[in-house]
Amino acid sequence: MPESRSDEFLLRLQSLFRIMDAERLLTDPIKDAMTELLRTSAARLRAEGASVLVQTAADSGDLKFLAATGEVADRIVGLEIPAGKGIAGFVLMSGQPLVVSEPDDESGFYAEVDKTTGFSTKLLLAVPLRFRDDVIGVLEYVNRNSEPFSEPFTPAEMDIAAAYADAVAALVNAHLGAELMCGLSKRMLKEDAEDDAEVRAWLHSMRENSAHVRALELAALVSELSSKGDAEVELCRTLLESVIGYSRSTSVKLDLA
Amino acid sequence: MTNPLGPTLEAATAPKFLPDPAWVDASGRGVTVAMIDSGVDASHPDLAGRIFEEVGAKIEGSKVTFESVDDGDLAGHGTACAGIIARLAPDAKIASIRVLGASGSGDAQIFLAGLEYAVKKRYKIINLSLGTTKPQFFAPLHDLLDRAYQAGCIIIAAANNLPQPSFPSIFSSSLISVVKSEEPDPLKFGFHYGEVIELTAPGVSIRTPWLNGGYRTLTGNSFACPHITGLLARLVETHPELTPFQAKSALYAIARRNSKLERADRRPADA
Repeated sequence: MPESRSDEFLLRLQSLFRIMDAERLLTDPIKDAMTELLRTSAARLRAEGASVLVQTAADSGDLKFLAATGEVADRIVGLEIPAGKGIAGFVLMSGQPLVVSEPDDESGFYAEVDKTTGFSTKLLLAVPLRFRDDVIGVLEYVNRNSEPFSEPFTPAEMDIAAAYADAVAALVNAHLGAELMCGLSKRMLKEDAEDDAEVRAWLHSMRENSAHVRALELAALVSELSSKGDAEVELCRTLLESVIGYSRSTSVKLDLA
Repeated sequence: MTNPLGPTLEAATAPKFLPDPAWVDASGRGVTVAMIDSGVDASHPDLAGRIFEEVGAKIEGSKVTFESVDDGDLAGHGTACAGIIARLAPDAKIASIRVLGASGSGDAQIFLAGLEYAVKKRYKIINLSLGTTKPQFFAPLHDLLDRAYQAGCIIIAAANNLPQPSFPSIFSSSLISVVKSEEPDPLKFGFHYGEVIELTAPGVSIRTPWLNGGYRTLTGNSFACPHITGLLARLVETHPELTPFQAKSALYAIARRNSKLERADRRPADA
């Protein structure tokens, strides 16, 4: 039992760290595997970029980009497309793979996405992501990565993409499961902290503050190394203490860049 | 290959359709075609004056209703399909039944409701580019397809070429299912009796209308489907009483005749 209010706060922090660690452990490897699969399949299909869209909620029809590779990957992940809009919306509802091409369209034709990313979509291959009896999302490949840049995706490439879609769909499903677990943990923590304004404020500031997020990443690294054994814990401590000691002695900010 | 249905069917169908060139020159005049799709851009120059009805799905509680809409096509797909139908049957009247874009559009219930709407209206030809793999819709769809058959509606559905069976395209008794071919001639199709999906039609690199008066080059089974729809609109113009069964028999006979002619054309060169 916690003896004081500060002990209780510490326990809450520890449980928060555990949840955030679990969140990363659960979802990150799946997302990494998905991105890697997008990269290898895009190379096989001579595509410049690839992306995965999933429904924001089951049967909602609204889609969001979960993972992407290519030039505008960073700008595309997180983008949302409302139900039934655009080519992705049609593929989701119809379950029909499609190839669309307009190599001479300078501005690109995927208005819903190109407007935000600045990318110019000239060729598109979209296949449904199926898991069991449901269409859970859409897998897309855009443009060619080599000459001839204007060559539309072929029916044989549609079949290859459909085969990759099965693997991607399994990963998407695993990711959805992991997110669900994380959501449950977060909700439990929220209920726990319902009457604790201090913890909630801290939680909020941590989520908003990038320095805290970096500190957490460091903590995760230390935690991972520490789990290897006592010698590793000692090594971590020595290393960190040396860096801090040096920093204090010079009284200047370390410039390690 | 011998005719798996025996000589009788071909003999019965051939005199009625094959020597009669009328349908080849027909344009779908007086024929109504319903499209269950993403809507249609009726202002596209290729479609002007050809769309006689535009309705969209609306969800009220657990009920799906259809009301008149004027905000066109949300995805471009319906416009593309309508463009193919209009090219093959320029005088056919197209009804656009939009099942995409209503909230909760992931649900096959809306597309089922769209099909039911078209059957109730007794539209002669119904173009269906959508399907579902959800087993709970197997029975209701089968029932609806039978009702369509009894009402004399000819339904053409796009197959999806994926490992999971998609309904209704795998039903063989009361509708016509189509898969894409690389054939460039828009009027040339194949009939493969005994296959799950019996018909092949052009569906690779098809240049067709798109949103905002534009055009796109498209590939997919859902672009093979409207080729058969357009062709059937011509057949129905010359044979308005055509039943779904006769439609299939006629397609079978025409495809066989086409391949026979093709073989005959090739023979001298082969020798």
